[in-house]
Amino acid sequence: MLSLGLNKPLMWAKPLKMMTRRMVSTAKTTVSEQESILVAQRKNRPVSPHLTIYQPQLTWYLSSLHRISGVVLGLGFFTATIAFGVSTVFGLGLTTNNLAKWYHEKVPTWMDWTAKASGAYLLTFHFGNGIRHLIWDTGRALSLKGVYTTGYAVLAVMVIAGTSILTW
Amino acid sequence: MFSKGLFQSQAIRALHSTSKRSLTIPFLSTLPQNPGGVKGDVNDACLPPPSPDRLHGSVPWDVERVSAVALIPLVGSALASGGDVSVVADSILATVLLGHVYVGFQSCIIDYIPTRVYGKNHNYAMYLLTLGSLFAGVGIYKLETEENGLTGVVQKLWTASNHSEEKK
Amino acid sequence: MMMSGLLKKNVGRAVFRRGLASEVAPAAPKMKTFKIYRWSPDKPAEKPKLQEFQVDLNNCGPMILDALLKIKDEQDATLTLRRSCREGICGSCAMNIGGRNTLACLCKIDPDTSKQTKIYPLPHMYIVKDLVPDLTQFYQQYKSVQPYLQRKSVPEDGKENLQSIADRKKLDGLYECILCACCSTACPSYWWNQEQYLGPAVLMQAYRWLVDSRDQASTMRKEMLQNSMSLYRCHTIMNCTRTCPKGLNPGKAIAEIKKALATD
Repeated sequence: MLSLGLNKPLMWAKPLKMMTRRMVSTAKTTVSEQESILVAQRKNRPVSPHLTIYQPQLTWYLSSLHRISGVVLGLGFFTATIAFGVSTVFGLGLTTNNLAKWYHEKVPTWMDWTAKASGAYLLTFHFGNGIRHLIWDTGRALSLKGVYTTGYAVLAVMVIAGTSILTW
Repeated sequence: MFSKGLFQSQAIRALHSTSKRSLTIPFLSTLPQNPGGVKGDVNDACLPPPSPDRLHGSVPWDVERVSAVALIPLVGSALASGGDVSVVADSILATVLLGHVYVGFQSCIIDYIPTRVYGKNHNYAMYLLTLGSLFAGVGIYKLETEENGLTGVVQKLWTASNHSEEKK
Repeated sequence: MMMSGLLKKNVGRAVFRRGLASEVAPAAPKMKTFKIYRWSPDKPAEKPKLQEFQVDLNNCGPMILDALLKIKDEQDATLTLRRSCREGICGSCAMNIGGRNTLACLCKIDPDTSKQTKIYPLPHMYIVKDLVPDLTQFYQQYKSVQPYLQRKSVPEDGKENLQSIADRKKLDGLYECILCACCSTACPSYWWNQEQYLGPAVLMQAYRWLVDSRDQASTMRKEMLQNSMSLYRCHTIMNCTRTCPKGLNPGKAIAEIKKALATD
């Protein structure tokens, strides 16, 4: 009654036939041949999209901002100090008063305000986020909750302190 | 034959526009990379880590933290006093800041111009950074000995244009 | 005889139930659009593209993996993806869903049909086909941290290496990692330097062996990380912890390694 048809030869013959067909179509390769096929395949492989498709998250947005602000402020620092260094070494006669006079006469107002605004906001952000990183480095506030609360706190500090420096 | 070759090279170019390894800096020469970023397969001997070297390991990290901690009161007091700080405080601020910026830029170079991809260009970037830092050091010496210091420059630039605003 | 009677009864009930179900008016189809990254090694010159698929959510399981398998079964059998356990313990179906890395089997389909769901493979990986990335590098790196117990001495009684409850507790939140590579491929530092930087998943396992009280190779383990690339490309971005489908905290583990190395 509960026959599964196992005793019928047809049921067995079918997979066997398939197996023989498969064996004909496979080609044997040595290990080194396999390796070269794999390397040839690897050369074709595209890199999946990353920066452009990743979800905007506070974590990596603030981290990027930390690096960008650090680089911008660092470049500002280097421009000023290297200018004085080069002037000292080659005797170009740059002084703070010279520099201020040039800045005050030649730099347009919009550029001045852009420099000041980015300086104020980037400095307060880098300062605040730097403290956040120092807290993290002690192993504290390194949970998802800690990351988010400190992140929003740093943004708030940036807005308040940056604006107060600008309107001083 | 020729047209086929041309077609193939075009096809490859079309692929490479999508499968670029990562964002590389266009004007710097790069080294050839392992296809697919790997050597051998999963079961092959693992990548040997470089020989331990604290100078390239924990030391830059420690310098970054120590300088950051030192900068909190230094920058904080300079901001709070509106730039009126003693020569000693200003000298310490400028020197520590130089160290902090140096380590920061070093970290950026290791991240974005690694030896693995850019070869010697990595070293050139490092030399350039060191040379710039030396000039910056001279500049800081000049600023502290003959001028009003780093905060003096910032203060002058910041307020000089405010005067121009008032004049207008 | 009794068997067949029972059988008849059951069949009858099943038929009855079926009859009832067919009387209910079919619900309006809830067609959800999925855009899926496609690339085939058979046509290497063709650019990778996003292909659109429509799935009726009324006839589909609740998870992204259900939708993907439904598409593979009914619409396009060439759609290629890894999957195995469908319950978040094997880590095979790790992919980028709606912009964040997670396991397709643990990620619910957003029922809002007005929004499309985009599915990419894990970011910045070499693609074998469609949603299947080449993880060779990742496994080699895991192998490189020597993820096994190393001791100079065997226990005196020849049985077990004993550990206090407090020491065992240190391994909680570390040993549960299933190595799905979600965190590593969410890390921008890993995107730029994955040939040398180990990445959060592997570093967390490095830490798991570093804090194990039974392991005696911690000096060697620390030495392996004392260089500019293996560990110190971590800038505490914390994308790893944000994305971990198992709720683990690789960022914290890396911070602990840095602490241990700072005074080393």
